[in-house]
Amino acid sequence: MSDNHKPAPMVDEISDFEVLEIAVRELAIEKGLFSADDHRRWTEYVHSVGPLPAGRLVAKAWLDPEFKKLAVTDGVKASLEVGVDWINSPPTKFGTPSDYCNLRVLEDTPRLKHVVVCTLCSCYPRPILGQSPEWYRTPNYRRRLVRWPRQVLSEFGLQLPEDMEIRVADSNQKTRYIVLPVRPAGTEGWSEDQLAEIVTRDCLIGVAVPKPGRKADDKRHVHPAVHPVHHDH
Amino acid sequence: MSKVQHDRTHHAKKATGIGDPQCFKGEAGPAKFKIGDRVRIKDLPDLFYTRCQVYTRGAVGVVAAVVYESPAAEDEAWDNTDKSEWFYSVKFRQHELWSDYPAVYANDTLETEFSERWLEKA
Repeated sequence: MSDNHKPAPMVDEISDFEVLEIAVRELAIEKGLFSADDHRRWTEYVHSVGPLPAGRLVAKAWLDPEFKKLAVTDGVKASLEVGVDWINSPPTKFGTPSDYCNLRVLEDTPRLKHVVVCTLCSCYPRPILGQSPEWYRTPNYRRRLVRWPRQVLSEFGLQLPEDMEIRVADSNQKTRYIVLPVRPAGTEGWSEDQLAEIVTRDCLIGVAVPKPGRKADDKRHVHPAVHPVHHDH
Repeated sequence: MSKVQHDRTHHAKKATGIGDPQCFKGEAGPAKFKIGDRVRIKDLPDLFYTRCQVYTRGAVGVVAAVVYESPAAEDEAWDNTDKSEWFYSVKFRQHELWSDYPAVYANDTLETEFSERWLEKA
């Protein structure tokens, strides 16, 4: 091995956008707009937001036609009933994890399936779904979903009939979207809690459909080790 | 330090407790288009900033909803927020956007939003 051979870095170097974020953040702290602890507290809060309230919203809409009407006409107001305030969010009461406060709930039917993307960046209804999954932000998903939605959905394991209308919602301005999927067969008589459990994040983005028996917190099958470790001592 | 030339927090002050785009309600005047209108997306110059996707330029769609009033993104990017416009959710047939979209999936559609300046009657 030659002397000038340097080991490859363990992780990619920092991107321009990360440098920009650090620069703006440090300037804002220096200027006294917020403190480093404010910033940490806000980040911690944003990362604690998840998709459970949106699953609850869908379950409520399945059970209560009046609530469903409210959800599809005024998503921001309907969110209040599942504990999400788009306009006055904790902990600062100033701003929310979303830049904008307009939620549209896209109602699927047996003939129509919605799926959400943001081709221009990665707009996502963060107050009600939390942080977006990594794949949602990739150019691969963003550029291909609008043009080849069926192929992309099939990569997620979702094959839809030829004559079903697939409607892509490209979130490019101030509206954020979640999908209200069709209530699956086999859930007759279920409680709101049971229904909410099967409406996972991907069902709310529209790349999957809810199925009875498949929940976000299902126990994963653990494969036995091929060469188990034995301790003799 | 010199005096403050421009209040950079005016937008936050306006939107706090009301929401954005709610804080621009009532500023745009009468809406030019209504639900069901056929509209064509103009191919306007977008030298500095735009949120009008290139793949929609020149395509014809139908107004699915008149959604809210707000300054256009192209102005708001430069903090010009004094002139609001109506925004529209427009629905397209996929084969209108992509000439090679498979004919067997003729039902497939796409919906996205535009400020009024991008639309003309088709």
